[in-house]
Amino acid sequence: MSSATLFGFSSWLAAQMFGMLRPIAPAPMQPLLGAQAQSATAYLLVGTFVFATGLVNAIMLIWWERKLLGRFMDRRGAMHVGYAGLLQNFADGLKLFRKQPLMPREADPLGYWLAPTAYLATSLMIVGFLPVSTGWVPGVAPLSLLMALALFSFAPFFIFIGAWSSNNKYSLIGGMRTAAQLVAYEVPLLFAVVSVVLLTGSFDLTTIVNTQIKEGWFAFPLILGLVVFFVAMLAEVERIPFDLPEAEAELVEGWNTEYGGMLFAMTTLADYVRGLVGSYLVVLLFLGGWWMPAGQFTNVVNGFPLAGILWFQVKVYLVFAVFVWVRASLPRVRTDQLLQIGWKRMVPLSLANVLLAAVLVVTGWWPLPKMF
Amino acid sequence: MSEMWINMGPQHPMTHGLWNLRVKVDGELVIDAVPEMGYLHRGIEKICEYRQYNEVVTLMDRCCYVAGLAWEQLYLMASEQALGVEVPERAEYIRVTCQELQRLASHLMWFAAFVMDIGLMAPFGYGMRDRDVILDLFQSFTGARMTYEYMRVGGVRNDFPVGFTDRARGVMDWLEHRVDDYEDLCDRSDIFLKRCVDVGVLKAKDCIRTGITGPMLRAAGVPRDLRRDRPYSVYPELDFQVAVHDAADVYGRYRVRMEEMRQSIRIVRQCLDHLDKRPGRVMAEKVPRFVGTPSPPPGSESYIVRRGYPKGVGLSAMEEPHGEAMAYVVNEGGEQPYRVKFRSPVMVNISAAREYLVGYRVSDIPAIMGSVDICVGESDR
Repeated sequence: MSSATLFGFSSWLAAQMFGMLRPIAPAPMQPLLGAQAQSATAYLLVGTFVFATGLVNAIMLIWWERKLLGRFMDRRGAMHVGYAGLLQNFADGLKLFRKQPLMPREADPLGYWLAPTAYLATSLMIVGFLPVSTGWVPGVAPLSLLMALALFSFAPFFIFIGAWSSNNKYSLIGGMRTAAQLVAYEVPLLFAVVSVVLLTGSFDLTTIVNTQIKEGWFAFPLILGLVVFFVAMLAEVERIPFDLPEAEAELVEGWNTEYGGMLFAMTTLADYVRGLVGSYLVVLLFLGGWWMPAGQFTNVVNGFPLAGILWFQVKVYLVFAVFVWVRASLPRVRTDQLLQIGWKRMVPLSLANVLLAAVLVVTGWWPLPKMF
Repeated sequence: MSEMWINMGPQHPMTHGLWNLRVKVDGELVIDAVPEMGYLHRGIEKICEYRQYNEVVTLMDRCCYVAGLAWEQLYLMASEQALGVEVPERAEYIRVTCQELQRLASHLMWFAAFVMDIGLMAPFGYGMRDRDVILDLFQSFTGARMTYEYMRVGGVRNDFPVGFTDRARGVMDWLEHRVDDYEDLCDRSDIFLKRCVDVGVLKAKDCIRTGITGPMLRAAGVPRDLRRDRPYSVYPELDFQVAVHDAADVYGRYRVRMEEMRQSIRIVRQCLDHLDKRPGRVMAEKVPRFVGTPSPPPGSESYIVRRGYPKGVGLSAMEEPHGEAMAYVVNEGGEQPYRVKFRSPVMVNISAAREYLVGYRVSDIPAIMGSVDICVGESDR
């Protein structure tokens, strides 16, 4: 691996650290500074970078959402802390961090404390499997897409545990809704992914993006899949119009009603990490990943260092802007309507999309003739 | 999931105030509902008995934070009848202008809260913004944005400022387009219709049986509007239509309120034209002044108790933004009213919650209760 990658940079950093430490460390410490320790440190640094960027990105998404939502509502959003309110969410996080965590007396301690922790942890783990550019591939796995989706579907269990152990009726109803909703929308989500896998023949996200770089975005042949995936993702990350688990008008705050202070911050942060991961997946699967649009003509720009990360981030924030746009302009659906949309509309549509992908592959129409 | 009771309130986003809705749910289905009122009871009716007639106006603003001027006029119509005061015509037109502006502000506030209840985020900001424009108008002639203390026994405190009518006309023109926009925004949204149509149905028969009035009654197809059916002030001289819809559900109530906003704009325009043409007094020439004190200070034998007001009784009913409100004022000749009693439309509308909530889902509760347009300040008083 060259030093232009995340792993190369981490290895270089670890080598620098160990190079500085070895001459000054006392003799008993020397066995701890071997080659193995150095490579382990390099891996730890990779993890640190990945999770730090994931968290900072999620916090920036909150800022992005607040600003956009403000503009949709004819106001400005956060303005005062930092330039254009950029540091507002860090200030909010600090305020929540200083608060005392309060648990209801009748709550079950294990489930109550476990749920937000596990929810945030599993959500953050997904970031570790998503490549951001050619140089930023944290987890090289042939089944990285499957792994990411598997981690993605952990959430309802932890939400349900948290809701049940909070011993609150609002939480309980919210937890029930979450379970029903996430299970219902997991199906079309996976079917939409299946169509992409059919076209690429691989579960590796890097391969999927490379295929798109060669053949064009999957958004064009699989527009139906993109729509299904996007709508199912709206439901999976529990955003309006599918934010029934947290429907604040009737359930106060839904399943995390009893969570205050830092626990509330963790659940909210996990929500946005999932929003971030959802946008990542939309970009990776359908919108060409880190490649600039019409990339064949712009190899100069794409060859620039960090250009991949830049394009990826731009696309992710634009996809999330659509999430916010939907949130600003649609009401919330009802529970029964939500399940109806899921099972009666989304599942048939996603099946039709799989059929389309299969026909494309079997008849040899894929890859499509080059358009641009 | 077995059946269970849920307390929605007193602190709950759905309540828009301070009251408690106890609902019995079977899973997501509502099978019983018991509204519990009284958390915001401030004893306003009793306090009225210890305030002079004009001082009570201050309390009326506190009755309803979205329709303070409506309650001022409601009380003053009754007390003017009890005291035998004639209000000059110009003051009546100013009062009606206030009423209709207040109805617009109240309905815009309702719109903002209602769309928020069903999860529509952006129009919440629009409704509040437009209401602010009307509050700016109020500020220009009352000096306050919510607690106006503008009306007095025998008229209003002061005339409209110079240039107000033109400014108000501009606001009305602008608002007319906004109302059209909002109706487009909601009527063309499939999810909005899904949430509203055939939800919270309460037929005309049940509305009348439970005493429900206002937009809820008109949405059930009963064309009853006190402005037309039991006219007060100068409403008989104004040209407007009663908004009616026959759906009897949440959607019907939304349509009735939207249409009422258009009619209010019409009425305000007529009033402004009239005010431009006919200058005059805004306060009655002869307002009886109370002379003497209700009870002599102890130990002062030479104290002369003189005659107070002529005795009388006043009853008024008006079409408030939320429904039909009534006031009853008894004047026993003292400095303060002997007894003041109000009928709050919101109180009656909420009390019938079981009628329109049972059989719908938990997710429907905010939509239905939002469509009732709740103002707990006036229902608990």
